[in-house]
Amino acid sequence: MMRIWSWLSDPGLVIGGAIAGLVLACAVCAPWLAPYHPNDQDLLYILAPPVWAPDGAAEHLLGTDSLGRDTLSRLIFGARTAMEVAVAASFGAMALGAVLAHLAGYFGGRVDWLISRLVEIWLSFPPVVLSMLLIIGLGVGTDKVILAIVLVDWTRFCRVLRSEVQVVRGQDYVSFARLVGFAHMRVIVREIFPATLPMLITLFSLQMGISVVVEAILSFVAMGVPADVPAWGQMIADARINMFDAPWGLALPILAIFVTVLSFNLFGDGLRRVLDPRHRANGHV
Amino acid sequence: MTSHSILQIESLDIALRSGDAILTGVDLAIAPGKVLGVIGESGAGKSMIGAAIADTLPPGLAISRGSIRFDGLTLTDMTARTRRDLLGRDIGFIPQEPMTALNPTLTVGQQIGRHLARIGIANRATRDKRAIELFSEVGLDRPAQLLKSYPHQLSGGMLQRVLIAMAFASNPRLVIADEPTTALDVTIQAKVVELIARMRQAHDTSVLFITHDLQLAADVCDDVAVLYAGRIVETGRAEEIIDAPRHPYSRCLSLAAPNLDGPVAPLMILPKAMPGAVERAAMRGCAFAPRCPAADEACTRTPPPRRAVSPGHVSACHYPERTSAIAPPARRNAGDLAAPGEAAVLRAQGLGKAYRQHDWLGRVREVEALRGLDFTVREREFVGIVGESGSGKSTLTKLIVGLENVTSGTLHVVGLDRTSTPRERFFDQVQLVFQDPQSALNPRRRIGSLVTQSLECRGNGLAAKARRELAAELLAKVMLPPDAADRFPDQLSGGQKQRVNIARALCSNPRLLIADEIVSGLDVSVQAQILELLRGLREQASFSLLLISHDLAVVRHVCDRVLVMCKGEIVEQGPVEQVFGAPRHPYTMQLVAAARGRPRSDDRHAREASDLS
Repeated sequence: MMRIWSWLSDPGLVIGGAIAGLVLACAVCAPWLAPYHPNDQDLLYILAPPVWAPDGAAEHLLGTDSLGRDTLSRLIFGARTAMEVAVAASFGAMALGAVLAHLAGYFGGRVDWLISRLVEIWLSFPPVVLSMLLIIGLGVGTDKVILAIVLVDWTRFCRVLRSEVQVVRGQDYVSFARLVGFAHMRVIVREIFPATLPMLITLFSLQMGISVVVEAILSFVAMGVPADVPAWGQMIADARINMFDAPWGLALPILAIFVTVLSFNLFGDGLRRVLDPRHRANGHV
Repeated sequence: MTSHSILQIESLDIALRSGDAILTGVDLAIAPGKVLGVIGESGAGKSMIGAAIADTLPPGLAISRGSIRFDGLTLTDMTARTRRDLLGRDIGFIPQEPMTALNPTLTVGQQIGRHLARIGIANRATRDKRAIELFSEVGLDRPAQLLKSYPHQLSGGMLQRVLIAMAFASNPRLVIADEPTTALDVTIQAKVVELIARMRQAHDTSVLFITHDLQLAADVCDDVAVLYAGRIVETGRAEEIIDAPRHPYSRCLSLAAPNLDGPVAPLMILPKAMPGAVERAAMRGCAFAPRCPAADEACTRTPPPRRAVSPGHVSACHYPERTSAIAPPARRNAGDLAAPGEAAVLRAQGLGKAYRQHDWLGRVREVEALRGLDFTVREREFVGIVGESGSGKSTLTKLIVGLENVTSGTLHVVGLDRTSTPRERFFDQVQLVFQDPQSALNPRRRIGSLVTQSLECRGNGLAAKARRELAAELLAKVMLPPDAADRFPDQLSGGQKQRVNIARALCSNPRLLIADEIVSGLDVSVQAQILELLRGLREQASFSLLLISHDLAVVRHVCDRVLVMCKGEIVEQGPVEQVFGAPRHPYTMQLVAAARGRPRSDDRHAREASDLS
């Protein structure tokens, strides 16, 4: 009980978590929340401004784009695309990175050498170029975007977690588990993984924000999701032609990306503060 | 006490910002050229006294009342700058850990040079000359060469000598030594203590000697102050406090330490733990009353007055006269120990371990960590291994539990050849109790799950209920309440954690238990609990124990036989009484002499023994 209370006293965690939760809720409930289908065209209203601007119309609360599609609906469905990609890609990167990190940190020696060199080689590729090359090779599609992000970002998990695993590996309780006959996999799962889990959750939250940005970049250059799937990056790309006539069409998706990434970063930092025992040391009895 | 004290601390209070007191009403005085010992267990606040004088109190702590006067000057009223000038010049310090006290990137000469420059030797050549002088004074060989070495090239004992030389360089009036020997080996400890005593005489310096070790204080100090829960409970001449204490806590501390001579008497075990700062605030009477064997109603209601029981001997107790009647409870079946069996649980013949090192040219160099060990441990026999750091004690345990491979000779563990038998055969039979319970207990497991952990990966996994029952049974064996099973390690005290550590090793009914320095990090009263627990287990002994320790008295208290190791070899082995009573190898003699301290302690133990009978 005390612990939950202390979590709630961390403003970054609460604000970040609330906004991130809201974005996730939008993504899950998009078909019920959005007033229109994101691809429906209303040719009477093209490049309509939001309702609060002069000439705004109540039919389209946040206005429409150059094809007469409702901006609010597209933002909400864009959140769905963004979250789908972010959750799947972050999870994939986490799984791949965490497995390799635990193997490298636990076994050390040659396994560690091999995995660490692999990470170093991987990291010396420019990440944006690497993901674009992957998309060109694989073709566009939501699943391809997810795969591209996983293949680029697993190294981040691997590097940070490996050193965490090494610290836990040095604890006597790990040696004890080996001495009473725990198999290697069991030691990793039962003794080491619970200790690295807080770090994993924190990294996952930060990776969510990064994935949102990468997905937006890829969609912006039309190398992300297919054209019929609404995405924030795509909305920015569409709106940039009319950016002087209809600035809202550009500003709103940028704001959506900004708020989403900020919220996940705040949430991740907050999690690090409350989950890391080194930061929790004072006042914890 | 006397009007011309070098250091006079009067009713000093140190408190946290929250107002909880760390030290309460501390009065101390050191006469010129005398050594005052401050004795206390961890958490008593003893280091805070040194920190208050040095103005290095940790953040969040401040002096809330009282004064510190040094040689007529009031330190507590001074500006930080004038006070800093005084420190290092008129007040010297000897730190606890010599290994971390010097900057590893500068040579010893540069560092002592800076210090000498600070105390007013402007000329570089004079500084070097003085440094060499000082180094020879503290018994360091080849002092000129030493000036050019870096701290990592010196051993802990040598570094502590360098630091002692620095502390006395300016002929200070006062030297504060905060646990100066705790981080050092026994034989070096004795030399360092001797050196401090000699330097004090040569420079006519007063010394404030802070320690947790009663025996050491008896050897070094003229006067002693015993600190408990932030208060001084007893002050007086060292011999009086050690031999005829008039405060129950001092007596309990003395009775809790195992001794090297006389009969192996049961140790005094204090219930509960020292109250923390917050708990103390809620106590109206004596802070020691809840643990005191002589306390009654009045003790919990009114704080005890501090009064002289004899000239120069002050005790803060309602009933100082009851002190001498305190004795540890007699053992249920004293002396009735299970006889060791005939079968060998552990047998080493010509056992050796060499590490291979490759240099950058690929040349192989062998470093022998262990050489030609021959010994046997029989069933239900408790065997101690003593030796200093680097003697190969820990390498030996690693060989026995299979964390390292044997490179020469044979090692039979529970009748099986360690090198040729698969690891699985040993899992249930050999168990290791780790030194540091903090690191050995997974903080994310509950105690119940920890103690039964070794059953987890067995094919016939126990049902949850049976597992709970087994956990309760194991906890009872180490005298922990059954409700401890639902707690996490962080919710237990250091001594309780160590008991969980032992219970866990007993889970699989091992035939051989290896305990590596399991009491070395613990306070005297907690150590007593663990040692008595081991004695108790020995009475029912169903296993053999290999106890590794640097403390001879600890080994004597628990073991039947002892192996003395030095530089990777066993130099002497035999029954404990015989080896410690009449050592034959020069190294054992040196160890025993170092552990005994001054001969004075002999008659002290003899007197104590006659008290008990």
